[in-house]
Amino acid sequence: MANDSKGMQWISHIFLAGFSLACLIPFVLLLVSSVSSESSIIQNGYSFFPEQFSFKAYEYLGSHWGELGRAYGITVFITVVGTAASLAMTSMLAYPMSRNDIPLKHFWAFLVFFTLLFNGGLVPSYLIYTQIFEIKNTIWALIIPGLLMNGFNVLLMRTYFMTSVPPALIEAAQIDGAGEIKAFYRIVLPLSAPILATIGLFEAILYWNDWFNGMTYVTDPELFSIQNILNRIISDIQFLSNNSNLSSSAASSAAELPSTSVRMAIAVIGVLPILIAYPFFQKYFIKGIAIGAVK
Amino acid sequence: MLACALSLSACGSNSGTNGDTSSAGASGEAGAPYELTVAYFTFGSVPKDQQLVEAELSKLTKAKINATVKLLPISLSTWQNQINLMLTSNEKLDLMVLMGNSYANQAAKGQLVELDELLAQHGQGIVEALGPDYSNAAKISGKTYGVPTVRDLAASYGYMIRKDLADKFKLDLTNAKTLDDLEPVLKTIKDNEPNLIPMVNGTGSSPLTYFSTRDSLGDDMGVLLDNGKDLKVVNWFETEEYAAELKKMREWYKAGYISKDAVTVKESTSDIIKAGKGAGNLATLKPGFDTQESRLSGMPIVSYQMLPPVAKTSTVTSIMWGIAKNSENPEKAMQFLNLMYSDKDIVNLLDWGIEGKHYVKVKDNVIDYPEGINAGNVGYSGMGWLFGNQFLSYIFNGDDEQLWEKMKQFNDGAIKSKALGFTFDSSPVKTEFAAVSNVLDQYQAALENGALDPDKTLPEFIGKLKDAGIDKIIAEKQKQLDAWAAANGK
Amino acid sequence: MSSATKRWKRFVPLFCLMLPGLAYLIVNNYLPMFGIIIAFKDFNFSSGILGSDWVGFKNFEYLFKTSDAYVITRNTLLYNGFFIIVNTIGAIGLAVLLNEIRKKFFQRFYQSVIVLPHLISMVIVSYLVFALLSSDTGLLNKSILPLFGIEEISWYSSKEYWPYILTVVNIWKGIGFLSVVYLASIISIDTEYYEAATLDGASKWQQIRSITIPIIMPVITMMTLLSIGRIFYSDFGLFYQVPMDSGVLSDTTNVIDTYVYRALMNLGDIGMSSAAGVYQSVVGFALVILSNYAVRKFSKDNALF
Repeated sequence: MANDSKGMQWISHIFLAGFSLACLIPFVLLLVSSVSSESSIIQNGYSFFPEQFSFKAYEYLGSHWGELGRAYGITVFITVVGTAASLAMTSMLAYPMSRNDIPLKHFWAFLVFFTLLFNGGLVPSYLIYTQIFEIKNTIWALIIPGLLMNGFNVLLMRTYFMTSVPPALIEAAQIDGAGEIKAFYRIVLPLSAPILATIGLFEAILYWNDWFNGMTYVTDPELFSIQNILNRIISDIQFLSNNSNLSSSAASSAAELPSTSVRMAIAVIGVLPILIAYPFFQKYFIKGIAIGAVK
Repeated sequence: MLACALSLSACGSNSGTNGDTSSAGASGEAGAPYELTVAYFTFGSVPKDQQLVEAELSKLTKAKINATVKLLPISLSTWQNQINLMLTSNEKLDLMVLMGNSYANQAAKGQLVELDELLAQHGQGIVEALGPDYSNAAKISGKTYGVPTVRDLAASYGYMIRKDLADKFKLDLTNAKTLDDLEPVLKTIKDNEPNLIPMVNGTGSSPLTYFSTRDSLGDDMGVLLDNGKDLKVVNWFETEEYAAELKKMREWYKAGYISKDAVTVKESTSDIIKAGKGAGNLATLKPGFDTQESRLSGMPIVSYQMLPPVAKTSTVTSIMWGIAKNSENPEKAMQFLNLMYSDKDIVNLLDWGIEGKHYVKVKDNVIDYPEGINAGNVGYSGMGWLFGNQFLSYIFNGDDEQLWEKMKQFNDGAIKSKALGFTFDSSPVKTEFAAVSNVLDQYQAALENGALDPDKTLPEFIGKLKDAGIDKIIAEKQKQLDAWAAANGK
Repeated sequence: MSSATKRWKRFVPLFCLMLPGLAYLIVNNYLPMFGIIIAFKDFNFSSGILGSDWVGFKNFEYLFKTSDAYVITRNTLLYNGFFIIVNTIGAIGLAVLLNEIRKKFFQRFYQSVIVLPHLISMVIVSYLVFALLSSDTGLLNKSILPLFGIEEISWYSSKEYWPYILTVVNIWKGIGFLSVVYLASIISIDTEYYEAATLDGASKWQQIRSITIPIIMPVITMMTLLSIGRIFYSDFGLFYQVPMDSGVLSDTTNVIDTYVYRALMNLGDIGMSSAAGVYQSVVGFALVILSNYAVRKFSKDNALF
């Protein structure tokens, strides 16, 4: 029996270590490429041991620090506010839906699920958000459209509430005189730390990595988020590669766009802050596990 | 700062009141200045002194046409999407850049204001700067919806190469006119400098992209041979000329003249040459080309013209300006556009920024960066070929002082395709157009870089094109072209 | 009647909780759905959405027009179908293994590292894949294949390898992240179950099969149903950027999304692009209703609705 458990430990370690390595190596390649000289990338391709190191890419980004610093600020703001708001809304919608006794149980689930399948496309969303809510070129444009609540997360949380929060506990609380809302935040939420942490992580990554809202609803450079700026550069290169016939003069301007190593450096500075913040997130995740185990 | 605040408040008041300003603006110079929103595309980031330039510009335009200007740079990759959205939602938008490949569609879908009357009233400077041939090149069914910017309006093709290599091997290409003529040069380089690619190609293109003897009529789906000597639309991909060119590319690819990674390359040609991996490439030439490329590659470049300059609708209309249907005051928009084609101060402000801050004059018409400023840290730089009349732009130190005179000769002396001025409207055959676009994207690049064997793949390619309906597009194009020729007495 | 109102009244606080979320769904998802009519219109900017002419199903034609229609539908279904199976099994496996790790440091380390690929954009992933596969400079061709005495392979023009390459990239990028979802459910399983099972002498494998899997079954079903609903949508970056838009590979890499992108690149027709979306949604919807029906027959509790 003990043997069995030990063997399992070993298998788990070997397998996970292997997979972790597979995830880590490409990232190292990314990091090294960002400090390789441009000519060694073009000459010899991407390599773990470049012939020539060069910090030009970071110098280039450094020269845009004013712009990038502000953009980091915007990104942090929308990530924090967006994730908090999203978690609140998602759990508030998911909890009643998870209750077996709620009227129209299947209807609610279907209502949420349907939004995952059908959407009207960008044009009507844009019309509603800019004409009715007038959020174009405001910070809300980066937080609200599309990201604030996702049907997928609602369903995920609902399933968790259904499977992992014993109804008996809620009933007990109600017998003790707690109202529905009190039972929700006193009993249900504390028991749901793992899923809150998981969805919080999802949302945070979604907000951090989002460039689409910025590209769609924001033209004011003061409101560019970090991913918006990075994506502008990368996708402009992509677009040009499909439109080489645009104009000879346009092509020459395009040649002044940042080179390969800068693109890599851009990817690095986009991911690095999450990597640094991730362990803190995980602390809560682990804490959540601990609470879950106590029950 | 004050002007900035002013323009902000103007923006705020405008969004609320719709029709009022237009009548005030149109009735004369009195009344509050109208704020023009001017949208154009940019690459990468927005210049940090954008707002200063905008304020300075508004000062000038307020005095001249009682209007202020709000510049709206939009990232190129989202350009089409963003413009569509702004037009659908009736957002404030007056002037915008048009690109040749979507121009006909934009006009057909009601995005643009018809310009003929406005041009006659307020746009004399534009017509003058372009000349009759080129100002008529953008007409659709006899109506003008866009005006081309004044830049290199024709295209000539040739081979450019690192000057040190040309000198070392005493390459002489002055008489090279065909791909065959070029071959010995490529061989010399390959034999003597095995680490260099003799025929570099940039991302998304092939050598054949820059060696065109046809009038593509915008999209290559039905072309005119010999740069539009006659008005017979043919399927370019079925011609013997195309088959022969593909064969040549295949040989070059096999011989190592073209990179094995040609199809997937993600760098520009100048980056590849700069990195010491490439020797030269075919390119679209124009006056001042060598200086421009030398600057980009960081080493001297020479080029040899192989095909003479030709003007086609596509070379003229690739960058234009139009007035959006949202504009509340098309007259003011046209007046400002006219300034972009006739007013030296406005053009240079847009192209180079503010004198003393972003550039200093070295000579009367020649400028340079101020002390301590270089291309990397200058607070503003515009795109000369975009903002109206480039011929009014200052010459940057190091460029040929006669550049614009030469460019003008280049434009005027170009061979003109018979179909110059014809723009194809693909909307009657958009189903087929979509299907054919997909087939082209699948095959063209790989075939034209020699990565595929044309003997096997070309028939397959042609078959797929037919299957997707290219013949229907060609028939429609011929029909529209005939109607155009009849209307224009060609 | 009165008992019904009484019953509803009891739930008023719960409905209040739902209010913000429902309002958001209406604004963000349901109101814009009127836009689906664009798919049936010849959209003209000066007439607006409502004023444009109806054209019936004309905007859909290009999707079915050519012999490619078969290829892209086949590719889309096969890839996504396969991804659903492989990703689900892989992610659950990973989550189970992660749950086994006792040392906190390692558990945190593994968890951090396996979500790493999810954080990098597909464009960058495509550069990394290129670093591996490039004909001129790729790691595989230059360093690894020669070790085994295998000749260089021109990856970007050999379509037969791409089903494997794309699957590997997809697993690599998505599985770690997906496993986090399952991990959250596995963590919350009461340890008493396992303790009892261990006392009974059940092996690890038996425990997984008869405790872990049944308990997280609702999550598995839900995730699978969701994926089935989106089976006609594919990850555009994976199928467009990772093969570097190499047309030669289109037999094995062209899916509906890339086809639509290539077809409308120059046309930019709003009606036609929304037609593609409607087509993808309708098929997904039909499949989900069918699968949900099947799940209901099998186990009522696990069905989504």
